[in-house]
Amino acid sequence: MNRTIKQNFFYSHTPEVVWEFLTNAELIAQWLMPNDFQPVVGHDFTFRIRPIPEFEFDGIIYCKVLEMIPHKRLSYSWKGGPGDGRINLDSVVEWTLTKKDNGTELSLVHSGLMENVSIYNAMTKGWMENMAKIAGLIKPTTNGTTKA
Amino acid sequence: MLTKDSLTINSLAENFDMSRPAVSKHIKILYSAGFISIEDIGRERYCMLKQDGFDELQNWINFFDSFWKNKMKKLETLLNNKINKK
Repeated sequence: MNRTIKQNFFYSHTPEVVWEFLTNAELIAQWLMPNDFQPVVGHDFTFRIRPIPEFEFDGIIYCKVLEMIPHKRLSYSWKGGPGDGRINLDSVVEWTLTKKDNGTELSLVHSGLMENVSIYNAMTKGWMENMAKIAGLIKPTTNGTTKA
Repeated sequence: MLTKDSLTINSLAENFDMSRPAVSKHIKILYSAGFISIEDIGRERYCMLKQDGFDELQNWINFFDSFWKNKMKKLETLLNNKINKK
């Protein structure tokens, strides 16, 4: 079960141009989501999107700028929940820009995606291995509904 | 009684060299997260794995995987339009 998303994309534009689109709130809104981002480490901001009731997500993503190296690296925390104070998404988004001869390679790492499902909070790593053993010992049924 | 489709709490404890109370505690957590279902048959509790509990976890990843692919492509279009407008 993979907990991190890694994606790379090449753009035939300079890192300076790509950086603008990652750090200017109006530009960010044009491709990502409405936001109040500011390129300041420690700045708290939000993204707004449609709610997803199936994921107990009210559509607001709470972020804090964690790291910033102009034209090279940007990372922020990315948290969400149902809107009643509970957090069930506690992840980190990291952007890395690498200058290439004819453009920029933009890499995205979105990590921590599994960590805040409540089950994992209560489990130790050792138990994760036991889960795999259980999966091997018990045949799964599909005639139930989840309670999460 | 041990069947291929379910395990009793006692046999789980035996299999994992864990005390019965410890297994019960973990079973409760797994149950409330929707990974297993529990049935009381006679004097034993039987646990069954629920595949859709795992599927739900995987969907969170799948959601963001598509989400980001979509957004990165949108950024590309935006960047290219910016250049074309000059």
